[in-house]
Amino acid sequence: MRYLLLVIEPDVPDRGPDADIVDWVRRHDADGSRVLGERLRPAADVRRVRVRDGSTLVTDGPFTESKEVIGGFDLIEAPDLDAALAIAAEHPGAWGGGTVEVHPFWPTDGVGPE
Amino acid sequence: MTPSAAVEDAFRSEWGRVLGAVVRSTGDLDLAEESAQEAFATALRTWGRDGVPERPGAWLTTTARRHALDVLRRRRVEADKSEAAARRGERVDGPGRAPDAVHDEVERGLDDEAWTPDDPDGDLLRLLFTCCHPALPLDGRVTLTLRSLTGMTTAQVARAFLVPEATMSQRLVRAKRRIRATGIAFRVPPPAQRPERTSSVLAVLYVLFTEGYDAWAEPADDVEGCAERRALAGDAVRLARLVARLLPDEPEARGLLALLLLQHARRGARTGSDGVSRTLAEQDRARWRRDEITEGLSVLDGALAVRRPGPYQVQAAIAALHCRAATAGETDWAEVLALYDVLFEMTPTPVVALNRAVAVAEVHGVEAGLSAVDAVARDPALASYHLLPALRADLLTRAGRPADAVVELRRALDQVDREGDRRLLRSRLAALGGASAPDAG
Repeated sequence: MRYLLLVIEPDVPDRGPDADIVDWVRRHDADGSRVLGERLRPAADVRRVRVRDGSTLVTDGPFTESKEVIGGFDLIEAPDLDAALAIAAEHPGAWGGGTVEVHPFWPTDGVGPE
Repeated sequence: MTPSAAVEDAFRSEWGRVLGAVVRSTGDLDLAEESAQEAFATALRTWGRDGVPERPGAWLTTTARRHALDVLRRRRVEADKSEAAARRGERVDGPGRAPDAVHDEVERGLDDEAWTPDDPDGDLLRLLFTCCHPALPLDGRVTLTLRSLTGMTTAQVARAFLVPEATMSQRLVRAKRRIRATGIAFRVPPPAQRPERTSSVLAVLYVLFTEGYDAWAEPADDVEGCAERRALAGDAVRLARLVARLLPDEPEARGLLALLLLQHARRGARTGSDGVSRTLAEQDRARWRRDEITEGLSVLDGALAVRRPGPYQVQAAIAALHCRAATAGETDWAEVLALYDVLFEMTPTPVVALNRAVAVAEVHGVEAGLSAVDAVARDPALASYHLLPALRADLLTRAGRPADAVVELRRALDQVDREGDRRLLRSRLAALGGASAPDAG
């Protein structure tokens, strides 16, 4: 199954390359579990788009008050949830102050809404 | 043994294994349930005529697996038909078609030749870890475990938990759907996740046990569904026994089994013939099951010998001290308090603090006990916990402050939801002269 990993971490202006993340990417590219993924630019570069009553509103984002942002994402392929959780636990984004969210995809074959 | 008694017996001991074997091959819990039911129905029809097979479990597993294979083949034929119809431009509603490769693999798994030697314990363990996966909501874990491991019907589970059958059915459907949607696999978790996942299994069993054990403090004749709920405690003990056997390297699994055995042994003394629940101090200890206590104590010794203590082992050790005391007066309260200190360090919850306060009062006196209660009294988690004012009332009575005790008892009566405890509080109130008619309200 495929899972989206969202790396939630404190917003910093420039994360720069990180040896631990490079290593994580290398290992999971090698074993075929990582499909794709990117590091995202800091909150100052994010724009939010909303359409209300036909007009488009573009604002700064993501959440002006929020100290945590989506710092990156990875799309992974794992045999099951436990395997996906194990891969997420190895992600440096889950260590220290960060959190890695593991999102199953919607809809899954033969699975209706809850 | 009559054939139908043999089927009943096999149902109790083999349901989870039969279900687990089909789940192992198909990964489909619904299909596995249907197939296990079909196998037991076939047994009811044929064992009378052909005799009870030598290995009922193996017979049932084989029958269930054949049924699953039949269903999958039938589904495949139907999917082929509707695909052909779709090519002709007809619209046919029906289940979508699984990719051929998946189908082939599942069918190979169900094929008797490819069937690996029986691993009934492994199947049970996988099933248990799946049903207790922390990604499932707690109520879903509890009901799914009962339904899958004991074979209780949805209606029976619903009665035991006092919810409408439709609600319970919805809970089960949701849990099974979440298993599929999030990709929870039917397997024993990898080593890194074992501790967390084992705790979840043990926690589910403890919730299950408590649900049943609480019903033993209720007047069975006056409370609907009480007998069914009481039976849950016995089911939980059986499952804990299984888990302790399947996870021999987990002292906490044995700790939980010991705790459940030592508590369950006291069930018959938890209510009097008047339907009033009895506190530990008031229980008729002659009604405690000595054989079960002996077993519990020996399970606990085995767990403690591993020297990896945990909250269940400590709670079992506390229960053991109560069970070893011939009378309430002979309880080794200093040791109980020491163990509560250890437990509070491991799990600093307000409920543990409150139980510890009982021991504080016994060791250091009523005033010290009251201070210990007051230290946690404002915790929001205890805001509607009737045992808090009930304990204060008890300590205040012993401190010679009956008027204050009456106030606390009234507060406890406002919060209590179980009939046995309500009667206990009313009798306390009456003894202090603060009662309206004992049966009012």
